[in-house]
Formats: sequence, C-alpha cells, structure tokens
Amino acid sequence: MSVTTGTTTQIYQVFIKASPEQIWAAITKPEYTARYFHGARIENTPDQHLSHGPDGSIWADEKVVEFDPPRRLVHEWRSLYDPELAKEPASRVTWEIEPRDGGYCLLTLTHDQLDGSPKTAASVSGQGWMFVLSGLKTLLETGSALGAN
Amino acid sequence: MDDDDRVFKALADRTRRLLLDRLFERDGRTLTELEADTDMTRFGVMKHLRVLEEAGLIVTRRSGREKLHFLNPVPIRLIHDRWIDKYTEGPAALLADIKHALEDDQ
Repeated sequence: MSVTTGTTTQIYQVFIKASPEQIWAAITKPEYTARYFHGARIENTPDQHLSHGPDGSIWADEKVVEFDPPRRLVHEWRSLYDPELAKEPASRVTWEIEPRDGGYCLLTLTHDQLDGSPKTAASVSGQGWMFVLSGLKTLLETGSALGAN
Repeated sequence: MDDDDRVFKALADRTRRLLLDRLFERDGRTLTELEADTDMTRFGVMKHLRVLEEAGLIVTRRSGREKLHFLNPVPIRLIHDRWIDKYTEGPAALLADIKHALEDDQ
C-alpha cells in the first residue's frame, strides 16, 4: 500500500467552553502553559516559539510561521528536551480556534510535516497531545486563573 | 443528546470500533481503504464514519481529490479523565501524603 501524507499528520480536536481570546492567551502565555503543558513555560510571539522546561532548560526555540490572534497560530516544532528527538528535522504545529454556538470554541491541533521525524511523531502521538489538550480544556473550564478575562 | 452520549453511542458498535482500530494502526486513510477492511457496502461504511465524525472521534481533511480520515482520541481521553482519574487520585494522594510525612520526620 502506498504511503499517504496521512501517516505523517496527526489531528486532534476538542470543544472548549471559553472565548477565542481566552484560548489564545492559554496557548501563547507562559504563565498559563506551565499549568497544563508538562510544566513548560511557552511563549508564542509573532517571531518566536520559545519553551522552557520546569528546570529552566530550553525545550524549544523555533520559528513562528503564522500569528493571527485569536484564531490561528502556526509554529515549527522540535523536541530539544531529548537529544534523539532534537536531531530530527523540524515539524509543524497548527492551532486553529473556531467559535461555535453556546460559548464554545472548537480547537483543532494539527501536527504535520513529520515525514522525516518518526521518533518525534511517536513521542507526541496519543498520550502526548491528548494529555496537553485535555489539560488545557480542564484549565479553561474549571481553572480560576483565566476566568476573569 | 450531549457529547458523552454521542461518544458512547458511536463506540457501541463493532464495525465503528473496528474502523477506529484501523485508524489507530495507520491514520489518514481514505474511504476506499477503510471499506476494504470491512465486509460492508461503501454506503454502510460512510454512514458509520458519519456517526464517528459527529461524535468527534474522527476528523476529516481534504487532500486533493481525496478525503482523509484521522482518529481523534481526545473525547475518549475526556471520558477517562472524568471517571477513571477519580480512582487514581486516591493512591496518588496517599503517596504524596507518605512522602510529606517522611520528609517531616527528617
């Protein structure tokens, strides 16, 4: 069977009861990511995707390809926290936020361009992104930190 | 019907679980590929895929003329979080308490 692009693309979707602005803040500001992204303090700006682990080491320092608040964020991905994964070429992560009825948004996360990065693909699949996204939903729907704004 | 109802209803069918298993093995398959794994008609498989999509268990993407199907495991994770985590909280909290008690003794 021929290999399609599908084998190197992962797509995750989750409904979150929050505004697009709240979700955008939660994925771009380090004080929020630290609470659901394995403790990583991640800052996304128009120029840079920078992630620090809980011990202060650099987990990611990549390019931001698109920065369109509060709807769409595209950045490159390399897992610098693991030497084996860090050797693989950069892949791409796309966050899309679509407002839906009833105060919900549909958040779609696509991790693709993983063709040359099989170890990275295996490490983020399943539990990896799922854990992050369910944590993000829990933070936004039950956490008090983002409730105010 | 709420989101959990849709997920349970979607999972309460052997063919639909089989389709999810196929996508778990290899994501991003076309209808034609998925159809080949079952003894159902194309129309039957399409109907099952629609139920799975409405439950949020699969996400589809167009790639040229083809429609690719991707497994989205997040709704199942959320069901796990809602009930199973309640059982695991106990031992985890107990271990944390023991750790604190031991540290206090020192």
